[in-house]
Amino acid sequence: MTTLLVDGQPIEAHAGESLLLAMLRAGLHPTSGGCVCLGGDCPNCLVTVDGIAYTRSCQVKAEAGMRVTREHVGDEEPALLPDEGMSAGSAAPVRHVHCDTVVIGQGDSGREAEREAREAGLGVVTLDARDGQHVTGVYPGPLVVAADGGGRVLHVHPRREIVVATGAAEIQPVVPGSDLEGLVTARAAAELVAAGIDLGRAVVVGESPGELPSGSLAGHFPLGHGGWELVRFEGNGRVEAVVLRRHGDAGAAEERIECDTAILGLGRNPRNALARMASDLPVRVVGSAAAESELPPCPRDGTVCPCSGVTVADLDGVWERGFHEMELLKRATLAGTGTCQGGVCLPYLRSFLLERGGRLQPAFTARPLNRQLTVRELAAGAHTAVTARSPLHDEHLRLGARMDRAGGWWRPWTYGQQDDEYRSVRESVSLGDVSSLGKMAISGPDAEAFLERIVPTRVATIRPGRCRYVLMLDERAHLLDDGMLCRETEQSAGDRFFMTSTSGGSGFFELWLRDWAEAFGCDVRILNQTASLAAINVTGPQAARLLARAGARRLPAFGRHQHVRVASVDCRVVRLSFTGELSYELHHPAADARKLWRRLLEAGAGFGVQPHGLETLLRLRLEKGHIVIGQDTDYDSTPRRLAHEWAVNLNKGDFVGRRAILRTNKQPLDKRLVTLRTDDPPPPGTAEAPSAEGAAIHDGDRYAGYVTSDTGTTTGGATMLGWLYLDAEGRLPREVTVDGRPARRVDGPTYDPQGERARAAVDVASESPENVREFPVARLEASDLAAGAPAERPRLRRLEATRVSATPAALDALVERPPWPDTALAFRTAPDELLVTATPDFEVADDPHAIVERETAFSYVWLDGTTAERFLDRECEWRRPGARPALAQGEVAGLPAKLWFEDSRTLILTPAPYAAAFERRLTASLAEIDGDAA
Amino acid sequence: MSLRIPCPCCGGRSVHEFVHAEIRRVPDHLTDPDERDLDFAFHHDNEEGIVTERWFHALGCRRWFEIRRDTTTDRIIEAAES
Amino acid sequence: MNEFTERQMKLTWRPPKASYDVVIVGAGGHGLATAYYLATRHGITNVAVFERGYIGSGNSGRNTTIIRANYGIPAAVRFYQRSVDLYRGLEEETDRWLMHQQKGILWMAHSEAAVRAERMRAKLNTEFGAETEFVGPRQVEELCPELDMSGGGRWPVLGASYHPQGATARHDRVVWALAEGAMERGAHVHQNTPVEGLILDGERVAGVRTAEGDIAAGAVVSAVGGHVSRLAAMAGLRLPIRTHRLQAFVTNHYRQQFGPIVASSELFFYASQTARGEMLLGAEIDPQPSFSYRSSHDFVQDVCRRALCLLPFMASLRVLRQWTGVCDMSPDYSPIMGRTGVDGFFITTGWGTWGFKAIPAGGEQMAELIASGETPELIAPFGLDRFARDRTMADRGSAGTH
Repeated sequence: MTTLLVDGQPIEAHAGESLLLAMLRAGLHPTSGGCVCLGGDCPNCLVTVDGIAYTRSCQVKAEAGMRVTREHVGDEEPALLPDEGMSAGSAAPVRHVHCDTVVIGQGDSGREAEREAREAGLGVVTLDARDGQHVTGVYPGPLVVAADGGGRVLHVHPRREIVVATGAAEIQPVVPGSDLEGLVTARAAAELVAAGIDLGRAVVVGESPGELPSGSLAGHFPLGHGGWELVRFEGNGRVEAVVLRRHGDAGAAEERIECDTAILGLGRNPRNALARMASDLPVRVVGSAAAESELPPCPRDGTVCPCSGVTVADLDGVWERGFHEMELLKRATLAGTGTCQGGVCLPYLRSFLLERGGRLQPAFTARPLNRQLTVRELAAGAHTAVTARSPLHDEHLRLGARMDRAGGWWRPWTYGQQDDEYRSVRESVSLGDVSSLGKMAISGPDAEAFLERIVPTRVATIRPGRCRYVLMLDERAHLLDDGMLCRETEQSAGDRFFMTSTSGGSGFFELWLRDWAEAFGCDVRILNQTASLAAINVTGPQAARLLARAGARRLPAFGRHQHVRVASVDCRVVRLSFTGELSYELHHPAADARKLWRRLLEAGAGFGVQPHGLETLLRLRLEKGHIVIGQDTDYDSTPRRLAHEWAVNLNKGDFVGRRAILRTNKQPLDKRLVTLRTDDPPPPGTAEAPSAEGAAIHDGDRYAGYVTSDTGTTTGGATMLGWLYLDAEGRLPREVTVDGRPARRVDGPTYDPQGERARAAVDVASESPENVREFPVARLEASDLAAGAPAERPRLRRLEATRVSATPAALDALVERPPWPDTALAFRTAPDELLVTATPDFEVADDPHAIVERETAFSYVWLDGTTAERFLDRECEWRRPGARPALAQGEVAGLPAKLWFEDSRTLILTPAPYAAAFERRLTASLAEIDGDAA
Repeated sequence: MSLRIPCPCCGGRSVHEFVHAEIRRVPDHLTDPDERDLDFAFHHDNEEGIVTERWFHALGCRRWFEIRRDTTTDRIIEAAES
Repeated sequence: MNEFTERQMKLTWRPPKASYDVVIVGAGGHGLATAYYLATRHGITNVAVFERGYIGSGNSGRNTTIIRANYGIPAAVRFYQRSVDLYRGLEEETDRWLMHQQKGILWMAHSEAAVRAERMRAKLNTEFGAETEFVGPRQVEELCPELDMSGGGRWPVLGASYHPQGATARHDRVVWALAEGAMERGAHVHQNTPVEGLILDGERVAGVRTAEGDIAAGAVVSAVGGHVSRLAAMAGLRLPIRTHRLQAFVTNHYRQQFGPIVASSELFFYASQTARGEMLLGAEIDPQPSFSYRSSHDFVQDVCRRALCLLPFMASLRVLRQWTGVCDMSPDYSPIMGRTGVDGFFITTGWGTWGFKAIPAGGEQMAELIASGETPELIAPFGLDRFARDRTMADRGSAGTH
């Protein structure tokens, strides 16, 4: 015997029995009344169990310590505000199960289906509500989702077939008094009798439940032709009598039979909701679930839908007013929209519509959820989006940065003193982390021709060692993204380029390039280096001197790039400028980022170097009139509207968006993105930084556009970007107002309009040698994965490896006779791509255009085979390979992962920007597994 | 789980691992009239039935591939059927 | 007895005639609103609305019933504000209970970048008549005490734009009230009568072909959702439309009153409470074009996960029912209303995930266009010709929102 609490009162329950049986045994009806079915088909036993309302008490086992409340008892509103016991945002654990066939229901037909499948040698999973496995739905995938009865959620992925063997529900009574206590279905009666619960004097209506205790049967009234029809139940709270009359004779005298319990065998209705929601999934319905529905007589009076409290009078009311379709009847009355999803009312709605309209209408659409799991259970296995981390993330935290999500990356927003950050850029030198830029290496015989077709700038004239700002347009000539395009200095064979995108565009960059490369049929290799390379922008008048002190012996001129060793780290140094100051962007292997960052801070100490955050960068660029994609651009942003015609060359060959530019140039221009300058202080009370963003621009009384970017007011003025509409004469106004403040449209940037600061001549050699710091050079060694071993506490470590992009045939030949040591592992991640744990000191003999690059973009962890299986059962929904060794790629724990399966251990690789999140999820999942095992 | 997309390199995976695109059309931009360019840039067949389309396996091999799918049911047409 | 059973409206069905002044294809909210405003504002009642299923069986009966005007560009703010205003008067005008509740909408910002975007939105909305203010965390908490302001520790609420006129209404009742209003003035609505073709008279659309026979029409309006490309093709038009699924779900009754509508662009979900007390959640469209009404588990799974970050009380609520609609998306994620370039054929489409809130204004403006022959100023920017005129709507901030 176990003890649980119902409305605060202890009751005893027999081991293993349902909560409903325990309550009925204790003489407590779960609700204010209604026929009890014990099959999970009606809403008449719903209670709140441990704070979870709408729980079918017939479908949960009575357990010690359960706290049960009945909705109709007491009139206090239950407290459902966030209670302290609920850990915020926690989801239930999930388990993914792969099989050939899943059988839902373990009655005779379900067991038969299971046996047949097993005999055919198939892997079978069975689910049975009596074991707490409540199936909530069958979904595309195919996927069957079920609670597992132990607090977890099962996601069953059958390869072949879903067998629905859910049996049939019993038809419930719909007559006056059907909401009284003491009404049970025939099957429920048999179960209650078997459980030793006293039914008192019982009247059986319709099909008999079988044997009843002797002396308890007060009468048996078969239904239909030659029998009886049910008229009503009488009683006060509990049934006291059943009233019937002879079938088919409305004038016949009523018979009133007194009783304590009415047992109702009114017929069967197949439980086919799962099958109905399956549509074209591979579903087979067996047993009584596959039977035709039995239609009960059209209801005359009483409650049709106990969930929503809909009466026959309600049905009549809407029918009379023109609601004749099944779905309209449902929507107008809300019948069938409650917990039982039409389990009680649907047969009666059909018989009602048949009688009134003379047409048998199909059942309304079966929709998930068949069994209502909680939000916590349904969230099982899902993860929220992860924000990528730069390799310098921890450095920013160490320096006190406030990190912010922008464009899918964590960026340092400010290190605390925005004005100091600004001044260090403008007056001395500053570091900015721009590792989140998209970065792509492109080579191949068609590399130049390909790039000519996708950027509007002429590529042919970018000489080796030069770089150029480029736009990326879509076929509507709307700006997608921008970046810079560098042609490599050394050319062994054909062309090779390095191209960047914005941080926000970095996820899109590769797929966009590959899509067009394939569409044009260009022979190119593309290697995504976004996570492979970190990038630090060294910017400010002292930038060159800082780099000289860090050991840079040469630096590129404006518009050029060079491979330079800075602070003993190999960098690609690109000289363009976004801040308006002398700037060098240092692209270098992600694994070296922390070292380089610290050394630059050290080397620049004499200049008071300090880093600047994104907030400052947004202000710096605005003073130079540089746009930010997404903030200053929109779905109509052609180069013309953006005043970026200078970045478009219509005289070269075709490129994406060219035709659209020619087409749209024939239309009159309506607006342009302009720089506005105001010298007035902001309106009172709006001192906060970018207060004018979104403000309307007026030209006299005419609405003339709105502001997209605002520096915020500093030293009495502000610089803004905004959309300005042309006036009736087709001119852009010069003097406007923004928020009532006078503002002036200026041509070109407000800061250093001639660009002299960014283009300043520098002389690295002039730095006096005593200031130049020496930094040790590290020897490059690849990660020794073969020697790696599963650790007690799994930690992800950065992989030191090499990535190769080459033709599939060249890679086939390469792996046939590998030039790397035997201990290295090589993963063929795509037909034209290879990741190998070796140093990049080899060539691909059969592809002169191959890209071979040091690769530190991934983090890895080894798990022992068993731990890996248990982790992946939770966090990997797809079917894993059976062979060993094997490589598999896909989503694990909500993140991209590569899995390498060996006989007794498994390697997991994930992009380093997600490594922290992956480790957190791995640790949490392993802790849950330990908890389960304990 | 939802729609399962068969990646020829990695195997069947949830639709969430992929990015969808229509087949790129490469018209001759240098000679096309405006009307055809407008159609190319904006209009869609929006076919109710079987379409050929491209998917990019963003969380796996990061490559594009083509499949055929019935837009009225989301059923993927296996290569053998087509 | 349930207070939500419909007890007022009367739908009157009449057999089709051979000819009408105006034939509208699609008896969803937009089609019926067009008929309603033709009848009530212009006295045009020789009108028929043809529907392949039952009234409101498409997206009008499958949406998340949110009404708001806080869009990202002046033309959209003005149009949706008109709709917000019409909705506020619709119960009185039709003398029907539409369960219209003004409750305010809070649009959360979890990052500095989002704070800036929401500040900007507030300023622009207010400028064009859709009152919106940026509120800090303390006010957010006062407006919605159920929020976990730490966002489950990972999505802190740094502020929100607050649009007090945000509202919800019962979708079906809006549809029925408009149908009733049109029908009682003489308009016809024909259910279970798909339009199978358009009748062309030279270059002009002159009627529709149905199973009930050919029906002549002075003007044909496509108010179709989901199959508009097919209908337009019958008039020789290719549309800038792709159709995607949009899913939603409700929980069981939550016994406390949940005040505002809560939305988060970064977590990508929105939640509100229905008049019946259910929590109603929605999110983004499915990525691939599709006409399938099939629901998927990952949708409910992901949205539950995201919702738990902000609304942890929902953990113990049960999800009752999920469903799917199909949305016609235009290239600039804004609706398309007006003439088509084909004489006699008008269109209202591209209603994506924002069709419900636009029902009254969309219907009113289309009715005015048809009655007057002039495109009203309020919808002129939304014309189908905008793509050819290089006037796509620049409302990126609103793309894909409900």
